[in-house]
Amino acid sequence: MAGSGCSAGSTATASRGPDAISIGFTAEPANLDFTHTDGAAIPQALLYNVYQGLVRLDQHGKIQPLLAESWTLSQDRTVYDFHLRAGVRFSNGAPFTAEDVRFSVERVRTDWTISLKSAMDVVDHVEVVSPTRARVVLSRPSNNWLFAMAGRLGAMFSPTGVADLANTPVGTGPYQVVQHTRGDSIVLAANPGYWGPPPTYTTVVLKYFKDATALTNALLSNGIDVISAVTTPEQVPRLEHDTRFQVIQGTTTGEVVLAFNNARPPLHDVRVRQALTYAIDRRALLDVVWAGRGTLIGSMVPPTDPWYEDLSGAYPHDPDRARALLAEAGQTGLTLRLRVPNLPYAVSAAQVVKSDLGRVGVGVDIEPLDFPAVWLKQVFTDHDYDLSIIQHVENRDITTFGNPRYYWGYDNPEVARLLAEADQGSEAEQVEDMRRVARTLSDDAAADWLFLLPNVVAAKKRVTGLAVNQVGDSFDLTALGRAAG
Amino acid sequence: MLFQLTRRLLILLASLAVASVLVFGFMAVLPGDPAQVALGVNATPELLARTRHEFGLDRPLVVRYLDWIGGLLTGDFGRSYVTGERIGPSLVDRYGVTLWLVGAGMLVAVLIAVPAGVLAAVRHRRISGAVISGLSQLGVAVPGFLAGIVLVQVFAVSLGLVPSGGWTPPVVDPVEFLLGLILPALSLGLVQGAVLTRYVRSAVLDVLREDYIRTARAKGLTPFRALLRHGLRNAAVPVVTVLGLQLTTLLVGAVVVERVFVIPGLGSLLLDAVGNRDLLVVQDVVMVLVLTVLLVNFLVDVLYAVLNPRLRQVG
Amino acid sequence: MSGVEDIPSGPVPGAGTRAGRRGANASLLVGGALVAAVVLLALVSFLWTPHDPTLVDAPNRLRGPSAAHWLGTDRFGRDVASQVMVGARTTLFVGVVAVGVAALVGTPLGVLAAMSSRRLGELVMRGNDLVLAFPALLLAIMFGAVFGADTLTAMLAIGIATAPSFARLARGGAVEVLGTEYVLAARVAGRRRLAIAVRHVLPNIAGLVIVQTSVSFGIAVLAEAALSFLGLGTRPPTPSWGRMLQESQELLTVSPRLALVPGLAIALAVLGFNLLGDGLRDRLDPRLEARG
Repeated sequence: MAGSGCSAGSTATASRGPDAISIGFTAEPANLDFTHTDGAAIPQALLYNVYQGLVRLDQHGKIQPLLAESWTLSQDRTVYDFHLRAGVRFSNGAPFTAEDVRFSVERVRTDWTISLKSAMDVVDHVEVVSPTRARVVLSRPSNNWLFAMAGRLGAMFSPTGVADLANTPVGTGPYQVVQHTRGDSIVLAANPGYWGPPPTYTTVVLKYFKDATALTNALLSNGIDVISAVTTPEQVPRLEHDTRFQVIQGTTTGEVVLAFNNARPPLHDVRVRQALTYAIDRRALLDVVWAGRGTLIGSMVPPTDPWYEDLSGAYPHDPDRARALLAEAGQTGLTLRLRVPNLPYAVSAAQVVKSDLGRVGVGVDIEPLDFPAVWLKQVFTDHDYDLSIIQHVENRDITTFGNPRYYWGYDNPEVARLLAEADQGSEAEQVEDMRRVARTLSDDAAADWLFLLPNVVAAKKRVTGLAVNQVGDSFDLTALGRAAG
Repeated sequence: MLFQLTRRLLILLASLAVASVLVFGFMAVLPGDPAQVALGVNATPELLARTRHEFGLDRPLVVRYLDWIGGLLTGDFGRSYVTGERIGPSLVDRYGVTLWLVGAGMLVAVLIAVPAGVLAAVRHRRISGAVISGLSQLGVAVPGFLAGIVLVQVFAVSLGLVPSGGWTPPVVDPVEFLLGLILPALSLGLVQGAVLTRYVRSAVLDVLREDYIRTARAKGLTPFRALLRHGLRNAAVPVVTVLGLQLTTLLVGAVVVERVFVIPGLGSLLLDAVGNRDLLVVQDVVMVLVLTVLLVNFLVDVLYAVLNPRLRQVG
Repeated sequence: MSGVEDIPSGPVPGAGTRAGRRGANASLLVGGALVAAVVLLALVSFLWTPHDPTLVDAPNRLRGPSAAHWLGTDRFGRDVASQVMVGARTTLFVGVVAVGVAALVGTPLGVLAAMSSRRLGELVMRGNDLVLAFPALLLAIMFGAVFGADTLTAMLAIGIATAPSFARLARGGAVEVLGTEYVLAARVAGRRRLAIAVRHVLPNIAGLVIVQTSVSFGIAVLAEAALSFLGLGTRPPTPSWGRMLQESQELLTVSPRLALVPGLAIALAVLGFNLLGDGLRDRLDPRLEARG
């Protein structure tokens, strides 16, 4: 019998027995089909746990083998030869072979609808060399492609298991979905035919809490064993001081960005953007919004990317400089519309931004919009905004600055060129190019990167193997263990 | 009586028809595109158009309305734009959850209000009566969600006596179900109990002033005894009608309590659906709520007519 | 939840006994004092507050009460006392809009229903019942979704949803007034309907309406709190007691003061309006007068 947490509050234990664990999340999947439904919630629950790809991302952002034992890359960087693990079966019993690789990769183009699928456009064709060898031929070199294959795009499906993706996912992973109660939970059970070492916990309950405080309360009252990501920063000290729990803090890929509408006056003027960036005290903002936890980054790169550089010093808090720049740009008596999703962190940050900008004479009208619906439509799609605040969670989303039609409205051919070059170049070239992109964005004040969300995981002390950093699409359950004693 | 009943029933049906048009019309002007939400960021215009077509959003409003209402009449609530699932089953599930909440909240309210109200009336000239009245005034003034939040902190987080939230269906684990129901029911019931106490008190006061009670008291019965023996049934008439109206209050009040306690009821379904622009779900939930309210009002009217013979004469 | 919906609004009977009468005077007094305090806070806040209630001051966040900050500061470092003062403004605004809409729409409709032909009157009251089927919170959620979350939208929704209780009340009162001899006399004398409505009906039901106004005020204040909790109420950074409460939720154990202050403010304001309503009812309701 393990852990001190098991004894207390016997009334409310959601996980019964040492082989079960229950983990609390805030964002609930609408269904179980990430090929048709966008958002982080579905892959978070299913990737690496139910679905597996040829490769996976470890918590330091490195690509590691998964269903492919190894692979080789041709001299011209366009042909990948994957050597597949033998003896792997899908949870419906079908064997996993190179045919499934071809099926899955091609299916992205034919059947997927989410926007991410464009990362697969670079694939020219897939050859089945033998049952355990698959060859993917790209139309041009692409580093981003292999990286994308470590995420949900690389998930391997069986032709025999795609009939009802929204409810019955079939993958090669250590778990199967046994129950989905909408508005409440998803229950995963160990897949008896799994090829790898069986997971420690045979039953995993993923519980969803719309309200962040309710999520924290659930751990405190013994209703769950793990909080996947604590979003009530003010309560972290309390969790840290409680002898029943451990609190782990690392980084995420979630940049909380104050977006500028670069395409429209007055924010098309770099001086105005720089002025706003000087005007905002990001350290104070982080203190208020996330109790000081989190990282100031200064560009769109989290520390887990190989080309990370700390650019947070580029625009020190300097209201006088901000006023001078605004005067130089001829912008006095400015009033901007700050249209934010009605999510707690965004609404909090908006109030700090308004207060800071007020001190340099810039008026701000805060408009909270229903998220996702109204924000997506009006800000993201119609670009109807001056300022917005949102967390960009996707991996390596710095590439969005290469797309002039993205809601940033940022159009810099040099950045687009560097991004393309980085995609095709060697590892060293990629790092160098990406560094230059990040610096250019910072120089242009293309946005104000307020801070990087911390990855704060709180759990009962007996739970081991929790990832420090949140890097990929998945909340990886396979490494979880149980402390002895 | 029969004529009255048919007339009321017809009014009920007409009201439902008008309400459905109102609800549908309202949803039709909502900003935000369900197809966009379903597809997420970066969806191409072609894909958007295709999805809109799949959802039937490109059809004329009248056709969409008739399609919807026709479905409702045959028990088909349609498919969610976001999950692609049939709405009917989950609606029924969620409705059941909310009904449990409302029922338990009602029970708490009645358990508080009847003794407290009677006591406050019988002792209305004494300190204890005044204290109860004062407390009920205060109870009415407290935001219900505040009560909920405080209850969670004290009884779930600090004392660990009951779960802080979540929902266990009664068939899965009856004990867990009851434990989980305690706090939400209390936070719904305490406030409504305070409201109800005031009505019970005044109804009992009215009865106490009736001649037959005075007679009974003249014969030497204490006010309490006299009331027990003769008055409670009479006092019940106005209280029952208030209870009916409170039922609808609780039904909507459950929206907030469901948020505090993370309970998958109708309210959380509605709030999520609004956020996701899952129009059909919003329409269905609102319609179900409105239907419930109209039905309860109808039943209260009928009950009132049955309980109160004087009303039967009035045309 | 609590009181977002209106419970039947007729006078709570029994308040008219002699004992109730003495209590009523106390109600009037206490209620009046509490309401006056809210009004005073709001008025003073136009001229002066200890600090700018929206100014973020991160180094001074979550400070306890002190000479500089009487009620301490919140997680933004904003002065809580100043927020309470300006929040009183929001509270009154909420009440005035919601109750104003309800009274101005409901009362004339009720009088109309009483004075017009049977068929029209019936139609008005049926429409009334229909609106009653859309509980206030539900209507506010729908309004918020369509027009965006805002104090004004929310309050319009609450106003529309509470209008039927005014209409019912006004209709009942008007029917009674219309049955009196002096109105019959006026009718016989050939007075126009509008004149009768203005000269006789409205003045006579004014008392009822005023009482209902006070009670509805409390309901509206609670509704704003509930809506702010759901993120559908007052827009940040405008201080509102409801939003203060919502923002304090996470800090309940760290700094309970932040929940206590706005919670108490809301409770006292609602209590004030309810007591005032009870007190006024005794003073103004002629029917209760007769019952004494």
